[in-house]
Amino acid sequence: MTVRADGDDTLLAAVAAGDREALAALYRRHAPWLVLRLSRRCADPGMVEEVVQDTFVAVWKGAGRYRATGEVPAWIWGIGIRRLISRLRQQRPIAIVGAQADDSTVSAEDEVLIGVEHGDLGSALGRLSPELRAVVQATVLDGLSTKEAATLLGIPQGTVKTRAARARRELREALA
Amino acid sequence: MNATWHADPAVLASYAAEELDDVRASSLEAHLLACEHCRSVLAPMVPASQLDEMWHEISAVIDAPRVGLVEQVLVRLGVHEHVARLLAATPSLRLSWFLAEAFALGSAAVTAQNLSRTHAAGASLFVFLVLAALAPVAGVAAAFGPGVDPAYEVGIASPMRSDRLLFIRAAAVLSASLMITALAALALPDLDATVTLWLLPAVGLTFATLALATWLQPITAAAVAGLSWLFLAAIASVVSTDLLVAFGAGGQIVSVLAIVTSALVIANRHSAYEGRIPS
Repeated sequence: MTVRADGDDTLLAAVAAGDREALAALYRRHAPWLVLRLSRRCADPGMVEEVVQDTFVAVWKGAGRYRATGEVPAWIWGIGIRRLISRLRQQRPIAIVGAQADDSTVSAEDEVLIGVEHGDLGSALGRLSPELRAVVQATVLDGLSTKEAATLLGIPQGTVKTRAARARRELREALA
Repeated sequence: MNATWHADPAVLASYAAEELDDVRASSLEAHLLACEHCRSVLAPMVPASQLDEMWHEISAVIDAPRVGLVEQVLVRLGVHEHVARLLAATPSLRLSWFLAEAFALGSAAVTAQNLSRTHAAGASLFVFLVLAALAPVAGVAAAFGPGVDPAYEVGIASPMRSDRLLFIRAAAVLSASLMITALAALALPDLDATVTLWLLPAVGLTFATLALATWLQPITAAAVAGLSWLFLAAIASVVSTDLLVAFGAGGQIVSVLAIVTSALVIANRHSAYEGRIPS
Protein backbone atom coordinates (compact mmCIF):
# COMPACT_ATOMS: atom_id res chain seq x y z
CA MET A 1 0.00 0.00 0.00
CA THR A 2 1.46 3.30 -1.06
CA VAL A 3 1.14 6.27 1.21
CA ARG A 4 -1.12 8.90 -0.26
CA ALA A 5 -1.04 12.48 0.81
CA ASP A 6 -4.52 13.29 -0.50
CA GLY A 7 -7.11 14.75 1.83
CA ASP A 8 -9.81 12.55 3.32
CA ASP A 9 -12.48 14.08 1.10
CA THR A 10 -10.40 13.37 -2.02
CA LEU A 11 -9.74 9.81 -0.90
CA LEU A 12 -13.41 9.22 -0.16
CA ALA A 13 -14.37 10.50 -3.61
CA ALA A 14 -11.86 8.04 -5.10
CA VAL A 15 -13.34 5.23 -2.99
CA ALA A 16 -16.77 6.12 -4.34
CA ALA A 17 -15.30 5.70 -7.83
CA GLY A 18 -14.07 2.21 -6.91
CA ASP A 19 -10.45 2.96 -6.03
CA ARG A 20 -9.18 0.16 -3.76
CA GLU A 21 -5.91 1.96 -3.00
CA ALA A 22 -7.85 4.96 -1.71
CA LEU A 23 -9.77 2.70 0.66
CA ALA A 24 -6.48 1.20 1.85
CA ALA A 25 -5.15 4.70 2.51
CA LEU A 26 -8.29 5.67 4.45
CA TYR A 27 -8.01 2.44 6.41
CA ARG A 28 -4.39 3.11 7.36
CA ARG A 29 -5.35 6.56 8.53
CA HIS A 30 -8.54 5.84 10.40
CA ALA A 31 -8.63 2.19 11.46
CA PRO A 32 -6.20 2.62 14.41
CA TRP A 33 -8.13 5.25 16.35
CA LEU A 34 -11.38 3.51 15.49
CA VAL A 35 -10.06 0.26 16.99
CA LEU A 36 -9.02 2.05 20.18
CA ARG A 37 -12.20 4.09 20.52
CA LEU A 38 -14.43 1.06 19.97
CA SER A 39 -12.32 -0.98 22.41
CA ARG A 40 -13.27 1.48 25.15
CA ARG A 41 -16.93 0.69 24.49
CA CYS A 42 -16.79 -3.04 23.90
CA ALA A 43 -14.76 -5.50 25.96
CA ASP A 44 -14.76 -8.20 23.27
CA PRO A 45 -11.72 -7.66 20.98
CA GLY A 46 -13.16 -10.06 18.40
CA MET A 47 -16.32 -8.00 18.16
CA VAL A 48 -14.33 -4.79 17.86
CA GLU A 49 -12.42 -6.26 14.93
CA GLU A 50 -15.61 -7.36 13.23
CA VAL A 51 -17.13 -3.92 13.72
CA VAL A 52 -14.04 -2.21 12.23
CA GLN A 53 -14.24 -4.57 9.24
CA ASP A 54 -17.98 -3.92 8.86
CA THR A 55 -17.31 -0.20 9.04
CA PHE A 56 -14.77 -0.14 6.23
CA VAL A 57 -16.86 -2.43 4.06
CA ALA A 58 -19.69 0.07 4.65
CA VAL A 59 -17.33 2.93 3.74
CA TRP A 60 -16.46 1.06 0.52
CA LYS A 61 -20.09 0.57 -0.38
CA GLY A 62 -21.41 3.86 0.93
CA ALA A 63 -18.65 6.31 0.02
CA GLY A 64 -20.97 7.79 -2.59
CA ARG A 65 -23.41 8.77 0.13
CA TYR A 66 -20.86 10.96 1.93
CA ARG A 67 -22.06 14.48 1.30
CA ALA A 68 -19.27 16.40 3.06
CA THR A 69 -21.75 17.10 5.84
CA GLY A 70 -18.94 16.95 8.35
CA GLU A 71 -15.44 15.75 8.80
CA VAL A 72 -14.64 12.31 7.42
CA PRO A 73 -13.48 10.95 10.83
CA ALA A 74 -16.82 11.92 12.38
CA TRP A 75 -18.63 10.23 9.51
CA ILE A 76 -16.56 7.04 9.97
CA TRP A 77 -17.14 7.13 13.73
CA GLY A 78 -20.88 7.47 13.13
CA ILE A 79 -20.82 4.31 11.00
CA GLY A 80 -18.58 2.46 13.46
CA ILE A 81 -20.56 3.17 16.62
CA ARG A 82 -23.82 2.22 14.92
CA ARG A 83 -22.33 -1.00 13.60
CA LEU A 84 -21.21 -1.77 17.13
CA ILE A 85 -24.70 -1.14 18.43
CA SER A 86 -26.33 -3.37 15.84
CA ARG A 87 -23.84 -6.12 16.72
CA LEU A 88 -24.60 -5.66 20.40
CA ARG A 89 -28.31 -5.85 19.63
CA GLN A 90 -27.74 -9.35 18.25
CA GLN A 91 -25.68 -10.36 21.26
CA ARG A 92 -25.77 -9.12 24.84
CA PRO A 93 -22.67 -7.18 25.81
CA ILE A 94 -20.14 -9.16 27.82
CA ALA A 95 -19.02 -6.17 29.80
CA ILE A 96 -18.83 -2.45 29.38
CA VAL A 97 -15.41 -0.96 29.56
CA GLY A 98 -15.09 2.54 30.85
CA ALA A 99 -16.22 2.08 34.41
CA GLN A 100 -12.77 1.23 35.74
CA ALA A 101 -11.44 2.92 38.85
CA ASP A 102 -9.29 5.96 38.29
CA ASP A 103 -6.01 4.58 39.59
CA SER A 104 -3.69 6.02 36.98
CA THR A 105 -1.21 8.48 38.35
CA VAL A 106 -1.97 11.94 37.06
CA SER A 107 1.02 13.75 35.63
CA ALA A 108 1.40 17.48 35.59
CA GLU A 109 0.85 17.53 31.83
CA ASP A 110 -2.39 15.66 32.24
CA GLU A 111 -3.56 18.17 34.79
CA VAL A 112 -2.83 20.93 32.30
CA LEU A 113 -4.61 19.05 29.56
CA ILE A 114 -7.73 18.74 31.66
CA GLY A 115 -7.47 22.37 32.67
CA VAL A 116 -7.16 23.54 29.08
CA GLU A 117 -9.85 21.28 27.73
CA HIS A 118 -12.50 21.25 30.38
CA GLY A 119 -11.65 23.25 33.43
CA ASP A 120 -14.42 22.89 35.95
CA LEU A 121 -16.44 20.66 33.62
CA GLY A 122 -13.65 18.09 33.61
CA SER A 123 -13.56 17.75 37.37
CA ALA A 124 -17.35 17.83 37.51
CA LEU A 125 -17.51 14.94 35.05
CA GLY A 126 -14.85 13.17 37.04
CA ARG A 127 -17.00 13.31 40.16
CA LEU A 128 -19.93 11.60 38.48
CA SER A 129 -20.40 7.93 39.28
CA PRO A 130 -19.11 5.60 36.52
CA GLU A 131 -22.72 4.68 35.60
CA LEU A 132 -23.76 8.31 35.11
CA ARG A 133 -20.54 9.11 33.28
CA ALA A 134 -21.10 6.23 30.86
CA VAL A 135 -24.54 7.63 30.01
CA VAL A 136 -23.17 11.14 29.49
CA GLN A 137 -20.41 9.72 27.33
CA ALA A 138 -22.84 7.74 25.17
CA THR A 139 -25.51 10.39 24.76
CA VAL A 140 -23.58 13.66 24.76
CA LEU A 141 -20.09 12.81 23.55
CA ASP A 142 -20.87 9.90 21.21
CA GLY A 143 -24.08 11.55 20.05
CA LEU A 144 -26.23 8.45 20.43
CA SER A 145 -30.00 8.35 20.81
CA THR A 146 -31.52 7.04 24.05
CA LYS A 147 -32.29 3.74 22.34
CA GLU A 148 -28.78 3.34 20.94
CA ALA A 149 -27.19 4.27 24.26
CA ALA A 150 -29.40 1.69 25.98
CA THR A 151 -28.18 -1.02 23.62
CA LEU A 152 -24.56 0.03 23.95
CA LEU A 153 -24.65 0.10 27.74
CA GLY A 154 -26.91 -2.93 28.10
CA ILE A 155 -29.48 -1.14 30.25
CA PRO A 156 -33.17 -0.28 29.65
CA GLN A 157 -34.03 2.95 27.85
CA GLY A 158 -35.83 4.29 30.91
CA THR A 159 -32.66 3.88 32.95
CA VAL A 160 -30.70 5.86 30.34
CA LYS A 161 -33.21 8.70 30.67
CA THR A 162 -33.22 8.79 34.47
CA ARG A 163 -29.43 8.55 34.65
CA ALA A 164 -29.04 11.30 32.04
CA ALA A 165 -31.38 13.53 34.07
CA ARG A 166 -29.50 12.78 37.26
CA ALA A 167 -26.15 13.45 35.57
CA ARG A 168 -27.45 16.78 34.26
CA ARG A 169 -28.62 17.74 37.75
CA GLU A 170 -25.31 16.79 39.38
CA LEU A 171 -23.30 18.63 36.71
CA ARG A 172 -25.44 21.74 37.07
CA GLU A 173 -24.91 21.72 40.84
CA ALA A 174 -21.15 21.16 40.45
CA LEU A 175 -20.83 24.01 37.98
CA ALA A 176 -23.09 26.44 39.79
CA MET B 1 -10.47 23.47 19.14
CA ASN B 2 -7.14 25.20 18.90
CA ALA B 3 -5.28 23.75 15.92
CA THR B 4 -1.86 24.34 17.48
CA TRP B 5 -2.69 22.35 20.60
CA HIS B 6 -1.80 18.65 20.57
CA ALA B 7 -2.26 15.90 23.07
CA ASP B 8 0.74 14.74 25.08
CA PRO B 9 2.19 11.53 23.56
CA ALA B 10 2.10 10.00 27.05
CA VAL B 11 -1.64 10.71 27.24
CA LEU B 12 -2.11 9.09 23.84
CA ALA B 13 -0.12 6.05 24.96
CA SER B 14 -2.18 5.81 28.10
CA TYR B 15 -5.36 6.05 26.00
CA ALA B 16 -4.14 3.30 23.65
CA ALA B 17 -3.44 1.11 26.68
CA GLU B 18 -6.98 1.77 27.90
CA GLU B 19 -5.60 3.26 31.07
CA LEU B 20 -6.81 6.82 30.62
CA ASP B 21 -9.76 7.78 32.81
CA ASP B 22 -13.13 8.42 31.20
CA VAL B 23 -13.11 12.17 31.41
CA ARG B 24 -9.76 12.68 29.76
CA ALA B 25 -10.49 9.87 27.28
CA SER B 26 -13.68 11.62 26.20
CA SER B 27 -11.83 14.87 25.83
CA LEU B 28 -9.14 13.18 23.79
CA GLU B 29 -11.67 11.41 21.57
CA ALA B 30 -13.30 14.72 20.71
CA HIS B 31 -9.88 16.13 19.86
CA LEU B 32 -8.93 13.09 17.77
CA LEU B 33 -11.91 13.58 15.47
CA ALA B 34 -10.54 16.97 14.52
CA CYS B 35 -6.77 16.46 14.72
CA GLU B 36 -4.93 14.54 12.04
CA HIS B 37 -1.59 15.00 13.82
CA CYS B 38 -2.73 13.29 17.03
CA ARG B 39 -4.37 10.49 15.04
CA SER B 40 -1.08 9.84 13.29
CA VAL B 41 0.78 9.76 16.61
CA LEU B 42 -1.78 7.30 17.94
CA ALA B 43 -1.79 5.03 14.85
CA PRO B 44 1.46 3.09 15.53
CA MET B 45 0.13 2.13 18.96
CA VAL B 46 -2.24 -0.39 17.38
CA PRO B 47 -0.35 -3.57 16.36
CA ALA B 48 0.30 -3.59 12.61
CA SER B 49 -0.38 -7.32 12.49
CA GLN B 50 -3.89 -6.77 13.84
CA LEU B 51 -4.55 -4.03 11.27
CA ASP B 52 -3.21 -6.19 8.44
CA GLU B 53 -5.37 -9.11 9.50
CA MET B 54 -8.50 -6.97 9.51
CA TRP B 55 -7.55 -5.49 6.15
CA HIS B 56 -7.37 -9.00 4.67
CA GLU B 57 -10.89 -9.67 5.90
CA ILE B 58 -12.13 -6.40 4.42
CA SER B 59 -10.45 -7.21 1.08
CA ALA B 60 -12.05 -10.64 1.07
CA VAL B 61 -15.50 -9.13 1.54
CA ILE B 62 -15.19 -6.41 -1.08
CA ASP B 63 -13.56 -8.80 -3.56
CA ALA B 64 -16.30 -11.40 -3.19
CA PRO B 65 -17.79 -12.16 -6.60
CA ARG B 66 -21.00 -10.44 -7.49
CA VAL B 67 -23.96 -12.79 -7.42
CA GLY B 68 -25.16 -13.59 -10.94
CA LEU B 69 -28.68 -13.25 -12.25
CA VAL B 70 -29.46 -16.99 -12.30
CA GLU B 71 -28.22 -17.29 -8.72
CA GLN B 72 -30.26 -14.30 -7.55
CA VAL B 73 -33.44 -15.70 -9.08
CA LEU B 74 -32.80 -19.13 -7.53
CA VAL B 75 -32.17 -17.64 -4.08
CA ARG B 76 -35.29 -15.50 -4.47
CA LEU B 77 -37.20 -18.71 -5.22
CA GLY B 78 -36.05 -20.17 -1.92
CA VAL B 79 -33.11 -22.30 -3.08
CA HIS B 80 -30.29 -22.49 -0.52
CA GLU B 81 -27.40 -20.14 -1.30
CA HIS B 82 -24.78 -22.88 -1.74
CA VAL B 83 -27.07 -24.99 -3.93
CA ALA B 84 -27.87 -21.90 -6.02
CA ARG B 85 -24.15 -21.22 -6.47
CA LEU B 86 -23.51 -24.76 -7.74
CA LEU B 87 -26.56 -24.67 -9.97
CA ALA B 88 -25.52 -21.35 -11.44
CA ALA B 89 -22.06 -22.80 -12.07
CA THR B 90 -23.59 -25.61 -14.14
CA PRO B 91 -22.49 -24.80 -17.70
CA SER B 92 -25.78 -25.88 -19.24
CA LEU B 93 -27.60 -23.43 -16.98
CA ARG B 94 -25.77 -20.55 -18.58
CA LEU B 95 -27.55 -18.09 -20.77
CA SER B 96 -25.42 -18.98 -23.79
CA TRP B 97 -26.44 -22.60 -23.50
CA PHE B 98 -30.11 -21.67 -23.25
CA LEU B 99 -29.79 -19.48 -26.31
CA ALA B 100 -28.04 -22.23 -28.30
CA GLU B 101 -30.69 -24.74 -27.37
CA ALA B 102 -33.54 -22.33 -28.10
CA PHE B 103 -31.94 -21.47 -31.43
CA ALA B 104 -31.47 -25.12 -32.49
CA LEU B 105 -34.97 -26.20 -31.54
CA GLY B 106 -36.54 -22.97 -32.74
CA SER B 107 -35.00 -23.31 -36.17
CA ALA B 108 -36.09 -26.94 -36.36
CA ALA B 109 -39.64 -25.89 -35.50
CA VAL B 110 -39.62 -22.97 -37.95
CA THR B 111 -38.28 -25.25 -40.69
CA ALA B 112 -41.11 -27.66 -39.97
CA GLN B 113 -43.49 -24.70 -40.22
CA ASN B 114 -42.09 -23.65 -43.61
CA LEU B 115 -42.17 -27.18 -44.97
CA SER B 116 -45.62 -27.96 -43.61
CA ARG B 117 -47.27 -27.64 -47.05
CA THR B 118 -44.74 -29.93 -48.72
CA HIS B 119 -43.98 -33.64 -48.62
CA ALA B 120 -41.01 -32.97 -46.29
CA ALA B 121 -43.28 -31.87 -43.44
CA GLY B 122 -43.11 -35.26 -41.72
CA ALA B 123 -39.33 -35.35 -42.02
CA SER B 124 -38.87 -31.93 -40.40
CA LEU B 125 -41.23 -32.83 -37.55
CA PHE B 126 -39.15 -36.00 -37.11
CA VAL B 127 -35.95 -33.93 -36.89
CA PHE B 128 -37.54 -31.61 -34.34
CA LEU B 129 -38.74 -34.48 -32.14
CA VAL B 130 -35.38 -36.29 -32.24
CA LEU B 131 -33.53 -33.07 -31.35
CA ALA B 132 -36.02 -32.25 -28.62
CA ALA B 133 -35.48 -35.65 -27.03
CA LEU B 134 -31.69 -35.20 -27.20
CA ALA B 135 -31.54 -31.64 -25.81
CA PRO B 136 -31.66 -32.45 -22.08
CA VAL B 137 -29.18 -35.31 -22.56
CA ALA B 138 -26.68 -32.91 -24.11
CA GLY B 139 -27.40 -30.52 -21.26
CA VAL B 140 -26.72 -33.13 -18.60
CA ALA B 141 -23.54 -34.22 -20.37
CA ALA B 142 -22.35 -30.63 -20.54
CA ALA B 143 -23.14 -30.09 -16.89
CA PHE B 144 -20.53 -32.47 -15.58
CA GLY B 145 -16.98 -33.44 -16.16
CA PRO B 146 -13.56 -31.84 -16.40
CA GLY B 147 -13.10 -29.45 -19.26
CA VAL B 148 -16.71 -28.34 -19.40
CA ASP B 149 -17.54 -27.76 -15.75
CA PRO B 150 -15.93 -24.63 -14.23
CA ALA B 151 -17.01 -25.89 -10.80
CA TYR B 152 -15.35 -29.28 -11.38
CA GLU B 153 -12.68 -28.83 -8.69
CA VAL B 154 -15.20 -27.30 -6.31
CA GLY B 155 -17.54 -30.22 -6.89
CA ILE B 156 -14.82 -32.80 -6.21
CA ALA B 157 -14.05 -31.11 -2.91
CA SER B 158 -17.68 -30.36 -2.09
CA PRO B 159 -18.82 -31.70 1.27
CA MET B 160 -22.20 -32.43 -0.30
CA ARG B 161 -22.68 -36.00 -1.47
CA SER B 162 -21.89 -36.42 -5.16
CA ASP B 163 -25.13 -38.20 -5.98
CA ARG B 164 -27.31 -35.61 -4.29
CA LEU B 165 -25.61 -32.75 -6.08
CA LEU B 166 -25.70 -34.67 -9.37
CA PHE B 167 -29.47 -35.12 -9.05
CA ILE B 168 -30.05 -31.49 -8.12
CA ARG B 169 -28.10 -30.28 -11.12
CA ALA B 170 -29.54 -32.90 -13.48
CA ALA B 171 -33.08 -32.01 -12.38
CA ALA B 172 -32.37 -28.32 -12.91
CA VAL B 173 -30.93 -28.93 -16.38
CA LEU B 174 -33.78 -31.27 -17.33
CA SER B 175 -36.55 -28.90 -16.26
CA ALA B 176 -34.91 -25.87 -17.88
CA SER B 177 -34.42 -27.85 -21.08
CA LEU B 178 -37.98 -29.15 -21.08
CA MET B 179 -39.35 -25.63 -20.73
CA ILE B 180 -37.32 -24.36 -23.68
CA THR B 181 -38.35 -27.31 -25.83
CA ALA B 182 -42.00 -26.81 -24.92
CA LEU B 183 -41.74 -23.15 -25.96
CA ALA B 184 -40.04 -24.10 -29.23
CA ALA B 185 -42.76 -26.67 -29.89
CA LEU B 186 -45.29 -23.85 -29.97
CA ALA B 187 -43.69 -22.80 -33.27
CA LEU B 188 -44.60 -26.13 -34.87
CA PRO B 189 -47.18 -26.00 -37.67
CA ASP B 190 -49.82 -28.26 -36.16
CA LEU B 191 -50.36 -27.81 -32.46
CA ASP B 192 -51.80 -31.24 -31.82
CA ALA B 193 -50.70 -34.16 -29.65
CA THR B 194 -47.63 -34.78 -31.83
CA VAL B 195 -45.81 -31.74 -30.39
CA THR B 196 -45.64 -33.45 -26.99
CA LEU B 197 -44.29 -36.76 -28.26
CA TRP B 198 -40.69 -35.88 -27.41
CA LEU B 199 -41.38 -35.50 -23.68
CA LEU B 200 -41.18 -39.13 -22.49
CA PRO B 201 -38.20 -40.01 -24.75
CA ALA B 202 -36.39 -36.91 -23.45
CA VAL B 203 -36.91 -37.87 -19.80
CA GLY B 204 -36.11 -41.52 -20.59
CA LEU B 205 -32.84 -40.61 -22.28
CA THR B 206 -31.83 -38.35 -19.40
CA PHE B 207 -32.48 -41.11 -16.88
CA ALA B 208 -30.62 -43.61 -19.04
CA THR B 209 -27.65 -41.23 -19.20
CA LEU B 210 -27.59 -40.89 -15.42
CA ALA B 211 -27.86 -44.68 -15.04
CA LEU B 212 -25.02 -45.27 -17.52
CA ALA B 213 -22.96 -42.64 -15.69
CA THR B 214 -22.71 -45.03 -12.75
CA TRP B 215 -20.33 -47.00 -14.99
CA LEU B 216 -19.10 -44.45 -17.53
CA GLN B 217 -17.95 -40.84 -17.57
CA PRO B 218 -21.01 -38.58 -17.93
CA ILE B 219 -20.02 -37.42 -21.41
CA THR B 220 -19.46 -40.99 -22.60
CA ALA B 221 -22.75 -42.04 -21.02
CA ALA B 222 -24.59 -39.23 -22.80
CA ALA B 223 -22.93 -40.15 -26.10
CA VAL B 224 -23.88 -43.83 -25.74
CA ALA B 225 -27.49 -43.01 -24.83
CA GLY B 226 -27.86 -40.29 -27.46
CA LEU B 227 -26.30 -42.26 -30.34
CA SER B 228 -28.31 -45.39 -29.47
CA TRP B 229 -31.43 -43.26 -29.54
CA LEU B 230 -30.54 -41.74 -32.93
CA PHE B 231 -29.72 -45.18 -34.32
CA LEU B 232 -32.95 -46.80 -33.05
CA ALA B 233 -35.13 -43.91 -34.23
CA ALA B 234 -33.54 -43.98 -37.68
CA ILE B 235 -33.79 -47.77 -38.03
CA ALA B 236 -37.41 -47.73 -36.88
CA SER B 237 -38.40 -45.02 -39.35
CA VAL B 238 -36.68 -46.83 -42.21
CA VAL B 239 -38.19 -50.22 -41.38
CA SER B 240 -41.67 -48.87 -40.79
CA THR B 241 -43.70 -46.88 -43.28
CA ASP B 242 -44.45 -44.37 -40.53
CA LEU B 243 -41.59 -41.92 -40.08
CA LEU B 244 -42.62 -41.12 -36.52
CA VAL B 245 -42.86 -44.74 -35.39
CA ALA B 246 -40.19 -44.17 -32.72
CA PHE B 247 -42.57 -41.70 -31.10
CA GLY B 248 -45.61 -44.00 -31.41
CA ALA B 249 -47.19 -46.04 -28.65
CA GLY B 250 -44.31 -48.53 -28.73
CA GLY B 251 -41.72 -45.78 -28.45
CA GLN B 252 -43.54 -44.16 -25.55
CA ILE B 253 -43.78 -47.49 -23.68
CA VAL B 254 -40.07 -48.13 -24.27
CA SER B 255 -39.39 -44.66 -22.86
CA VAL B 256 -41.38 -45.37 -19.70
CA LEU B 257 -39.56 -48.70 -19.32
CA ALA B 258 -36.25 -46.89 -19.74
CA ILE B 259 -37.21 -44.41 -17.01
CA VAL B 260 -38.20 -47.18 -14.58
CA THR B 261 -35.16 -49.38 -15.31
CA SER B 262 -32.76 -46.45 -15.08
CA ALA B 263 -34.33 -45.28 -11.83
CA LEU B 264 -33.78 -48.76 -10.38
CA VAL B 265 -30.15 -48.80 -11.56
CA ILE B 266 -29.55 -45.34 -10.09
CA ALA B 267 -31.18 -46.33 -6.79
CA ASN B 268 -28.90 -49.37 -6.53
CA ARG B 269 -25.70 -47.84 -7.78
CA HIS B 270 -25.84 -44.17 -6.75
CA SER B 271 -22.82 -44.61 -4.48
CA ALA B 272 -20.73 -45.24 -7.63
CA TYR B 273 -20.89 -41.48 -8.36
CA GLU B 274 -18.94 -40.66 -5.22
CA GLY B 275 -15.56 -39.09 -5.85
CA ARG B 276 -15.76 -39.88 -9.55
CA ILE B 277 -18.59 -37.70 -10.79
CA PRO B 278 -17.66 -34.20 -9.77
CA SER B 279 -21.17 -32.84 -9.66
